[in-house]
Amino acid sequence: MAESVIGKRIPKVDSREKVTGQAVYAGDMRMPGMYYGKVVRCWEHAHAKVKKLDFSAALKVPGVVKIIGPDDVTKKPYNTTVMKLLVPEIFGEVFGEIADLNIFNRVVKHQGDAICGVIARTEEAAERAAAKIKVTYEPLPVYMTVEASKAEGKKKNGYLFTPLKPGNLAFDLPESFFPGKRYGWNDKDGKTAEQLFSKCDYIIEDTFYVPKQKQCQMENHSYVAHYDERNRLNIWTSTQMPKPVQVLIAELFELPLTRVRLTQTTVGGGFGVRLGMIGEPHACAMAMAVPGHPVRMEFLREEDWVASETRYPGHIWLKMGFKKDGTPVAVDAMYSARKGGYYTHGSGPPFCAAAFLHGMYKWQALGMQTEGYFTNEVPTGAYRGYGNPQITFAAEQMITKMCNELGLDEIEWRKKWHKSIGDETWLKGVTFASDGLNDCLDVAAKEFGWYEKKKKYAKQTGVKRRGIGLAVMQHTSGAFPMLLEHSVCTAKLNEDCTVELIQQISDLGTGGHTVITQMAAETLGFPMEDIHLKSGDSDMCGFDIGAHASRTIYCAGPATIEACESVKKQLLERAAQLLEANVADLEMKDKIISVKGNPQKSISAVKIAKEGVYNYIDAATGKTIGIPGQIQGYSSFFAKHCSPPYGACMSEVEVDIETGEVKVLNLVNGHDIGKAIHPPSVEGQLEGGAQQGLGFVLTEEYAYDSKGRVLNNDFTDYKMLGPSDMPKAKIILVETAPDPIGPMGVKSCGESALMGPIGSVANAVYDAIGIQIKEAPITPEKVLKAIKEQGLRK
Amino acid sequence: MKYMLSFTVNGAPADVAVGPTETLLDVLRDRLGFTGAKRGCETGDCGACTVLVDGRSVRSCITLALTVQGKAVTTVEGLARDGKPHPLQQAFHDHGASQCGFCTPGMIVSLAELLEKNPEPCRDDARAAIAGNLCRCTGYVKIIDAAMAAARSPHKKGGPA
Repeated sequence: MAESVIGKRIPKVDSREKVTGQAVYAGDMRMPGMYYGKVVRCWEHAHAKVKKLDFSAALKVPGVVKIIGPDDVTKKPYNTTVMKLLVPEIFGEVFGEIADLNIFNRVVKHQGDAICGVIARTEEAAERAAAKIKVTYEPLPVYMTVEASKAEGKKKNGYLFTPLKPGNLAFDLPESFFPGKRYGWNDKDGKTAEQLFSKCDYIIEDTFYVPKQKQCQMENHSYVAHYDERNRLNIWTSTQMPKPVQVLIAELFELPLTRVRLTQTTVGGGFGVRLGMIGEPHACAMAMAVPGHPVRMEFLREEDWVASETRYPGHIWLKMGFKKDGTPVAVDAMYSARKGGYYTHGSGPPFCAAAFLHGMYKWQALGMQTEGYFTNEVPTGAYRGYGNPQITFAAEQMITKMCNELGLDEIEWRKKWHKSIGDETWLKGVTFASDGLNDCLDVAAKEFGWYEKKKKYAKQTGVKRRGIGLAVMQHTSGAFPMLLEHSVCTAKLNEDCTVELIQQISDLGTGGHTVITQMAAETLGFPMEDIHLKSGDSDMCGFDIGAHASRTIYCAGPATIEACESVKKQLLERAAQLLEANVADLEMKDKIISVKGNPQKSISAVKIAKEGVYNYIDAATGKTIGIPGQIQGYSSFFAKHCSPPYGACMSEVEVDIETGEVKVLNLVNGHDIGKAIHPPSVEGQLEGGAQQGLGFVLTEEYAYDSKGRVLNNDFTDYKMLGPSDMPKAKIILVETAPDPIGPMGVKSCGESALMGPIGSVANAVYDAIGIQIKEAPITPEKVLKAIKEQGLRK
Repeated sequence: MKYMLSFTVNGAPADVAVGPTETLLDVLRDRLGFTGAKRGCETGDCGACTVLVDGRSVRSCITLALTVQGKAVTTVEGLARDGKPHPLQQAFHDHGASQCGFCTPGMIVSLAELLEKNPEPCRDDARAAIAGNLCRCTGYVKIIDAAMAAARSPHKKGGPA
């Protein structure tokens, strides 16, 4: 049998084309007769009415083909998210899903809202014409905070973002489904968290702020759309969710599904921003205006900031009660968030913030409320972690503070009180099947030198003060049972006994294509180079939800394995017939199938595969040679669990008390992966996630002027960490708790990488200066202000 | 008004009529089909468009095309020698240094300049060489690992790997 490829540091299957510049992203595509589309956006206002739209000067620009506005496209409102496909209708109603977006708008609800689209023969002509379109606006008041939006919504005849959402409340947990509008549980006597605080010896209560962070995927959103001669709408896009987006496009343009063909191009990073439609409706609308001509539409970087979704910002209030020995009793919480101008993804991230609080520790009772108010900002949506970074930033700071004040060892406390096998995960009714957190804590503490450093930095004086911090997290592997987790794989055995996997796997740079290929190779016992994954074309691939909720390997891997097991089974069955043996007595090694213990009695799998295709008649006997039929394996797999992975992260920082600067010196992140199928990809997720987590906690947030216009819509003013800014980061893959349900023992790693760095850096700052900075990002200004107001630890 | 721009791209001569405001990136991508250089920001911040001009790395999105008159431009597509990948390309492949891959061409080109100029770089040298290149996937760890591995290669300055 070919040597096992599981756990091996082999090159990725898709990296050759990436290192040579041959990988094709949508913006790299050139097609005959191709036109260029440009969306005209409102840059002047965050809230305004379009009074007049004048295309006359723009239409005179040489090369312009057509300009389309609000009256030239469907009036059907839409929602960018694929949520409605992932949940039964009842949940959509529970979460108050509405459709409130339009392709082109007469009312601008945030800077960057689309007004119209220009189609031209060259990109330059499209840009020139776009600049000549005259839009007359009537500015409206802007509502940039929860308080402002709420107050306006309460007024009689106050402004409503949508009549569908009274009071401008985009989302909260409905009483009918969530008693007390809270997600959580009561104690064994039915007492709520609120009711249990009176029984606590130690109570802490605080409010934290979490930032509006941008995904900053390096590839700008780019599309080619083509309404072709067969009256089919073709779209090439780097969406994370090809199948659901195909469905949404068909619904929006009222086309039968079969008339929409979606091809996923190489994805230049996702991180959640591509978890639904972004520019697809605009690109498709322009293509439908010029049938027969492909239209390429690329965002500029500044458009990304104002016209694609972001992390959900807001305030998190937490109240925690404990016994004096640290026994956790009750937690009550509220996440009050700014939604942005439209509903899209309204319910998901705030609900999941509550869910990830739910999944972490063994409280006697827990309740968390969440609400999101409309604001004149670019809408929030999915971003790696989906609520978990927010709650981890707040909750892990509270736990550390409690341990400090009660004199408890914070590592030991977390070991003792985190949920474990048999306990309920983030979702009601689903229990942990494996738990590697204690091992994560032990290996991280050893690598980091936690206790030595704790002692060493106990008494910091001087200008530069060092501190260490810890945070733990749990996440998810797919989102069953809340969301549908369905993946289909067809494994086609070729006549030379090689395999094509036909399966939609969204590889956002995560290594998914490589891992799926490894799983197939392992299952069949074939070499990696004999297996090719064909993905991306909706005409070819079976159903797959796409890449969300850290699901790909956990939920789609089993489909691959089942399809390949079927191929193997069919080969063995044919061999059994030809060898006159029992299937159970056969084994396959290096594509030779033989009777166990009797290697002479064998047949080549290559011969079986070939004869299945070229099933000729033997001239002498008149009978066919071999067994007819090309072998294919197939699986339509529904995941039935969500095996949360754990993680423990430790950070060391140096805080300059004169400048307020926080420098991260060192970071160790132990991750409970279960089994790392492709270690470089897992490490890559965790190393890259650290960059995003550190950005959340230290540098990244939208800044606005008084009119709600984004001040930092480029990489100069929005600071994400560059190569020289990153600390030493050590990633440890903990494989001591393989998951009994995950394929080959795996748990997820895609989103998990952010939470630990976020919480541990916040706690390290607290350790260094004795002050908790409760607002992320922890900027020098906030550190200095806190030192000034609260004074340094004596 | 267009002007004739004559230069070489990856060793082959190219003559293109370009306007005074056209960028080198647009000429490479849209006129000549070298889409390995990526358009990530168009403000010179992200480095995805990095190419070599007479051996020096430049951000082609903020370089006017006409400034490379008579010069030699090398893109990621031109780093291979004799059909073999540049040691950096091989090392990125071997070490999983490319994730979504969008920043990869710019990273490799910036590091190729480093290896030409500094045969024995340390990790901080590599970090400095890509200080103008942003990546959102990798945390830069495996990119630096790959740069170090390529620097150990006997063919680090290109040529047969």
